[in-house]
Amino acid sequence: MAENRWLATGNFFTSYRAEQRIFLTHIDRLIFVCFLVLLFAWPLVFEVSNKYMLVIDSILIAIVAVYGLNLLTGFGGLISIGHAAFMGVGAYTLATFSRILGSDHVLLTHFWPLMILLAGGVGAVFGAVVGLPALRLKHLYLVIATLSFQMIFQWVINFSKFLNQGQTIAIGRVFWFAGKVARKEHYFFWYYVILIIVVILGFAVRNLLRTRYGRCLVAVRDNDRAADAMGMHPGFTKVYAFALSGFFAGVAGALHAYLWRGVGFESFTLHHSISYLAMAIVGGLGTLVGSFFGPAAILMLELQVENFAELVGHYITAVGDVATAFRPLSFGLVIVLFLMFEPRGIANWWRIARTYFKLWPFRY
Amino acid sequence: MKNKQFTFTLVLLSLLLVLGISSHALGETYKIGLSLAITGPTSDVGVPYSKGVEDYCKYVNDEKLLGDDKLECFIRDDGYKTEVTKRNLEDFLDENIVFYLNYSTGSTLALRPDFEEEKIPVLPASFHIGNLVDSNYIFLPISSYSSQAVGLAEYVVANHEGSGKPKVAMFLHPSAFGRASRDDVEKAIAAGLGIDLVEVVEHGKDLDNTAMLKRFQSKGVQYVISHTVQPPVATMLKGAQSLGMAASKYGEAGKITFLGAHYSGGPDLIGLAGSAAEGFIWTTSYKIMTAKGPGTDAQFALAKRYGRDESVANSQNYTNGIMVVQVAVETMRRAKAKGKKVTRASLYDELLTMNGYNAFYPLTTVGPVTFSKTDREGVDTLQLYVVKGGVFHEQGLPFASEYMKKMQQ
Repeated sequence: MAENRWLATGNFFTSYRAEQRIFLTHIDRLIFVCFLVLLFAWPLVFEVSNKYMLVIDSILIAIVAVYGLNLLTGFGGLISIGHAAFMGVGAYTLATFSRILGSDHVLLTHFWPLMILLAGGVGAVFGAVVGLPALRLKHLYLVIATLSFQMIFQWVINFSKFLNQGQTIAIGRVFWFAGKVARKEHYFFWYYVILIIVVILGFAVRNLLRTRYGRCLVAVRDNDRAADAMGMHPGFTKVYAFALSGFFAGVAGALHAYLWRGVGFESFTLHHSISYLAMAIVGGLGTLVGSFFGPAAILMLELQVENFAELVGHYITAVGDVATAFRPLSFGLVIVLFLMFEPRGIANWWRIARTYFKLWPFRY
Repeated sequence: MKNKQFTFTLVLLSLLLVLGISSHALGETYKIGLSLAITGPTSDVGVPYSKGVEDYCKYVNDEKLLGDDKLECFIRDDGYKTEVTKRNLEDFLDENIVFYLNYSTGSTLALRPDFEEEKIPVLPASFHIGNLVDSNYIFLPISSYSSQAVGLAEYVVANHEGSGKPKVAMFLHPSAFGRASRDDVEKAIAAGLGIDLVEVVEHGKDLDNTAMLKRFQSKGVQYVISHTVQPPVATMLKGAQSLGMAASKYGEAGKITFLGAHYSGGPDLIGLAGSAAEGFIWTTSYKIMTAKGPGTDAQFALAKRYGRDESVANSQNYTNGIMVVQVAVETMRRAKAKGKKVTRASLYDELLTMNGYNAFYPLTTVGPVTFSKTDREGVDTLQLYVVKGGVFHEQGLPFASEYMKKMQQ
C-alpha cells in the first residue's frame, strides 16, 4: 500500500527511519507551522497587559525548565527534586557576573545570548557533578541526593555575602539592534526570545530522542541491566541525563534572571522544585508535549487559585487562615487526581484528541 | 429668528457650563496600589495592615479629605511571594497609580529597579535599612530595624545596674534583613557602645528553645534583643518562663530580660505567649491602643466606623496600614494646595520637603514624619513599651538611637 503523507489513518511504517520522522504526516507539519505562526503573530494583533505577558513569559520559561526535567525524570527515570536549584545555578551565573562587573556591564547587556548559553553550560557542569551519585544510587536514595543539592544550594546562597545573602541582585536591561530594550517593550521582547528558545530546544529534545543517546535514556530507564547487556553504559547515560537536565535548567534560570531583571533566592526554593516536578507529572512524564501542557496548566491554575484565595482572604479573617490553605490544597489535589485518574498526564488527552480526529468520521 | 438663535446659543452655553462645572465637581481620581500577604506567611500581619489601608482610603473619600477628588486604593494579595508582587505591581502600573505601598523586604528589594524606572514613591511595610541602598524612591515609614535594635541596645546600656558591660544575645530572623540589624549593632559596639555581644542566633522553626536558653544562661547572657516575627519570640519567651529564666523585673540578676524590635512584639505577642510575655520590652514608632491619646482614639473610631473587630482595631499593623495612607494622602493634599497636579513626580517632591516646619504629624506615630533627600526614614523616634498585667504600657519618652545617628554621619 502506497504511503499517503497527507492522511495517515494507521501506522504504515516501512522502515525505522520512517518511524522516527518528526512529523508523521504533512498535515501534522502544516498544523505545527500554522500554530507557530499564530504564536508569533498574536502579540502583534492583541494588546495584552504587562501582568499577563509576565505570566505568559513565565510559562515559557517553565517549559524550558520542564524540558530538562522531563528528559531526566520522564525519559531517564531519574527523579530529581532539586531542579529549581539547577535553575538557580544558571541564574546565579549571571548574578556572579553582575556582582563582579556590574549589572549593566556590556557582557550582560549586549552579549546576553552568550550569557544564556554560558548559564546553561554551568548548569550542565553542576548537573553532571550532582549526577555522579546516580552511578551508585537509585530511586529514593537518588531523590535524597538531589534534595541534598537543593538544600546545599539554598544554604550557600542564604549565607553568601558575595551573593547578597539571597537578596535580589540586579541584572541590567539588555540591548537589541534597535537599542536598549525599554521597560515598555520588555515583556514582548522576552516573549519572542523565549519563544524562539522554546522552539529550538523543543526540536533539540525531539531530535535527541531520535538518536541512540535518546533511546539509551529510555532503555536505561526501563531496565538498566538489560541496557548494559545491550552494550549501553548506564552510568554514563545517567550522568549525561543530569548534565542535559542541568543545561536546560541553567538556560531557564538565565532567562528568568533577564525577565525579572534580577536574581533572588526566593525563586529557586524546594517549593519551586516540587512545582516543576508537578508540571512534568501533570503534563505527562516522558512526552514532549507534556512539557508544554504541564507548565501552562499549573501556572494558570496557580493564577486562578490566587485570585480565588484573595477573594476569600478579604472576607474570611486570618484566624482560620482558610484562604491560605487554598493554594497548597488545590495544588496537592490536582497532582493526586492526576496520579489517580490520569497518570499519563494531559499529554494523553492530547493523544486521544489527535487520534479521534485522525480516525474521524469513524469512532475512536 | 435672531431671538431663537440667541436662545439656542444661550441654552448651549448654559449646557456647556453645567457640564463643565459638573465635570469639575466630579474631580480627579488618584490611584494608589498595595500588594501584601493577605494569605500565606505573615498574613497575621498583612490582614490588619490591609484593613488599615482599606479603611483609611474609605475614610478619605467619605470625609472628602481630598475635596472633590477621590482616592482609589487597589489592594492585592501576593501570598508573600515576590513573583506575585511583581505581577501585582505591573497591574497597578497599568492602572496609572501615583503612589505604591509595598510589603515584604524581599519584594521591595527585588522591585527596586522598577521603582527607579517608574519614578514612583514607595512606602513599604519593611523597615530594612538595605531598602534605602541604591534607591531614591523608597521611603521607610518609621525608623529602620537597625535603628530599633541599636536603640534597644543603648537602652540596655543606659539602664544596666550590674557591674561590667551587659551581656547581650541577639535572636534574629534567618535572612539578610535579620542579619543587617546585627551588623549595625556590631558597628555601634565598634563605635563605643558598651555591650558585650555574647551570641547571635538565627532561629529556625523550633518549637523548643531549651538548648539555646541553657546556652545563654551558661554564657551569662542578661539581655536578649529579638529582631524577627512574633511566633519564634513567643516560643522563646514560653521556654524561658518554663525554665524559670525570665527576669521578673528589668535586669534582674541571674535572669534574662527580653527585648524586641517592631515585628517581634505587639498585642498579638501577648496572645501567643500569654503570661510569658510579662516584662517583655518592645519598641516601635507607632502608638498602640493602650497608650491613650487623640491618635489612638481616632484609630478606634475608624475601626468601629468600618466594623472591624477588636483584634484588628488593637493591632499595630492596622495602625501601620492607616499611617502609610495618611502619608500618601498628605502629599496629595500638599501638592494640591500648591496648585500642582497630583503626579508621581509632584508627590515625590512633596515627600522630600516633608521636614522641619513641614513635618507631618499623623497622630498614629510617636513622632513626626520627616523625609528629605538625605533622610528617608520617616518617624525618627521610637517608643518603648513594656508588658505589665497582660497589656503593653508606654515606658519613658520617645527616643532616637544616638549611635545610628553617629554612624550615619
